[in-house]
Amino acid sequence: MCFKNLPVAFDENGKAYLKEDIANPYEYKVVDLGVEQDKLKSLMEKNGFIRSVDYDPVTRVAGALAFHSVVDLKQGKVLSTNSMATLFRGYEIILKGRDPRDAAYISSRACGVCGGVHATTSALAIEMALGIKPPPLGIVMRNILLAIEYLYDHPLHLFLLAGPDYSEELVAATNPELIPIAARTKCKNKDVHGYDTILDIMKDLNPLKGQLYLEALTMTRVAREAYAQIGGKYPHPQSVVPGGISVTVTMSTLNEVYTRLVKFFDYGQKTTGIWDDVFDFFIEQDERYNQCGERPATMADTGVWDRPDSYDGTFENCDKWGEDRWSTPGVLVDGEVVTTKLSELNAGLEEFVEHSYYEKWDEHKYKIDAKGYPLSPNHPWNKDTVPKPGKQSWRDRYSWDTCPTWDRMPMEAGAYSRMYMTAKANVAPSSPYLENTGYSMKINVPKYNLPEKQLEWKIPKHWNAFERNRARAYCIPYSAMVALENWQLAQQLIRNGETAVSVPYEIPKTGTQIGFGAWGAGRGFLTHHLIVENGLIKNYQIITPSTLNAAPRTPWGALGPYEEAVMNTPVLEKFKKPEDYKGIDILRAIRSFDPCMPCTTHIMAKDTDHVVTREVTTCACGIE
Amino acid sequence: MALNKKTLIGTVGYHILGNHSMPPMLFPHLEALSLPDHIKVDELNWGPVAVVQMFEAEEPSFEKVIMLCAIEREGREIGEIDVFKWKGELPDEEQIQACVGDAATGVISVENLLVIGEYFKVWKDEVYLVDVEPGPEVAGEQWTEGMQNAIPDIISTVKRLAIEGVDDRMSLKFLQGDTIFNEETVPN
Repeated sequence: MCFKNLPVAFDENGKAYLKEDIANPYEYKVVDLGVEQDKLKSLMEKNGFIRSVDYDPVTRVAGALAFHSVVDLKQGKVLSTNSMATLFRGYEIILKGRDPRDAAYISSRACGVCGGVHATTSALAIEMALGIKPPPLGIVMRNILLAIEYLYDHPLHLFLLAGPDYSEELVAATNPELIPIAARTKCKNKDVHGYDTILDIMKDLNPLKGQLYLEALTMTRVAREAYAQIGGKYPHPQSVVPGGISVTVTMSTLNEVYTRLVKFFDYGQKTTGIWDDVFDFFIEQDERYNQCGERPATMADTGVWDRPDSYDGTFENCDKWGEDRWSTPGVLVDGEVVTTKLSELNAGLEEFVEHSYYEKWDEHKYKIDAKGYPLSPNHPWNKDTVPKPGKQSWRDRYSWDTCPTWDRMPMEAGAYSRMYMTAKANVAPSSPYLENTGYSMKINVPKYNLPEKQLEWKIPKHWNAFERNRARAYCIPYSAMVALENWQLAQQLIRNGETAVSVPYEIPKTGTQIGFGAWGAGRGFLTHHLIVENGLIKNYQIITPSTLNAAPRTPWGALGPYEEAVMNTPVLEKFKKPEDYKGIDILRAIRSFDPCMPCTTHIMAKDTDHVVTREVTTCACGIE
Repeated sequence: MALNKKTLIGTVGYHILGNHSMPPMLFPHLEALSLPDHIKVDELNWGPVAVVQMFEAEEPSFEKVIMLCAIEREGREIGEIDVFKWKGELPDEEQIQACVGDAATGVISVENLLVIGEYFKVWKDEVYLVDVEPGPEVAGEQWTEGMQNAIPDIISTVKRLAIEGVDDRMSLKFLQGDTIFNEETVPN
């Protein structure tokens, strides 16, 4: 029984049904956010200060996502948070009425980093809708392509975007007391990264000049070069199509990929060693860092990387081919696995727009799926995207992001969810390079310049900003090993003469076809829900990881993941005057999610007129 | 005037934004021009960091770079062409890091490209912007009449600048990195 909040039960044969004794089974309470705002206002009035803040984007090109907090600097507490997407993107509307074959190319443009995963997720949605099964080499090459996309994405986040938050320059400005301690603290992983002290690492994390920063720039190039061998170009591959890929793959292609991939063997060891050292150091200095960005490990993940002998694209078999993936799909609630089945993941999804600039929709066309699972009127297959621009109000609507939930719970998404879910569920087929234990994932990295080594990522006790980034670092060797195993499979397929990379298919001119694609983006969970009617796209709905993470409050008042993580973050930064406050703890909390869209963060210090504004830029992926 | 400088004409801008998309829409036409061998045409929308890496790998280096862009600026008519010469200089490091952040995540911006190229020292002798006023941003693949009428002049300006260099018909203005985000020009 995976659902606790949706009105769905299972009979003795495990068949899902809608509970019959409930008058309006999908009804939900809508709370008045004004009560919270009034409390906050009253609290601030008592302290003698109220100030309005301008939340316009702060640069010409950025500002698509913004974050507002009110912080009590005396108590070191966050009082209020609101996450808001400030741009309407409307890919769902752009795709309506188009030929389904356009979807992979158009939806790829939802992101300037993870275009390949959007294209692939779109291809999977079409494969499910039309019953297309790609040939083994097509599946394997898609796996390699998308593993490589992560090898671009994770170093970019860890060293170019989040890394500076832990650099000597930033730490000296926000927690100078840590610098002399870092200077005398020896690194535990010098054997893999070569740094003697934590301060040595911090210096090389300095933005623009640090060696780790500059090395990451180079590694993103290595990944892009490998990617272009299969995708044709980056970030919007030209070769991802429903039914496989559209590029000829030879041993030469594989060799070109391998010469780049091997560089991530050592880099994976180095990166995990660096971040283990840095994060252990912070937490050893002050246990309260465990609360930075902390929230329950309640996460959803689609899984990724299909087995060529299992994936057939069908909805009927999606639970089987989903569980056979190198990363396991499913849902974690407070660190416990509640499902690993793609059909249950799909059936529990809903999207709410009470605090978003959209009209509600009335239709409830799809009441059950093909397996008989009841579907909510708020399920993506039932959703209609109707923008309704309006005034921003913390009491009412404040975001272009919708509020997706699974079983009525806000869900977090990330590369780390992929790793957490797979390690904890321990259902993925065995692999020579990966071993899941239920409490950890062991990664067997082969020799390159460094000797071979078994790395082990352990499920942490606290789920916080540091652990998100630590897990993301481990996703580098994890992704590299999946790419390596698939590379070996590709070699074998070519040797066996199985060189087909795609299958032909036709778009039916009549009737309705329905499907969903589920594949992980660099920052986790990504679904595309598709309905084709009379040969054209009738409805297309995209849920990106940032749709989940940056969600506004649920109709019943639960905080979105960013909002909750920031609410739990203590202010550990040292400053003499409020004007000196930089908000580094909150920035670390938000950045740990690898937020999509250039994100602007505004932090208002209670009892002062000080507003901190910082860019939290990461990928330009779509929210709605 | 040095002749036959190795030159790159690059287009910068988003697609499907009306007049703002003039550079990428004009790219195939520029590519089809009959140009001397030392002049290459390329799209420069694929990320300033990647562009820097491409420049670093280019042997011999490009000595002249001409970027075609369409940035909305006050006081100009749609289709009005300005030629800016890049004078270098850099904004503060926080701004440069913000540029890298945007650049590494897919944001297309000519300012970011200029600043990041300057920081990583890939610009050599001459860098120019041929900047055409697009007016307000609108969605779509169509140009307004003002932009459409300016196309022959735009192509002619880019071509002259690439082949012959700055001439009397171009009123040169100047930009540099420490003021570019204030949309200020600077004296020569």
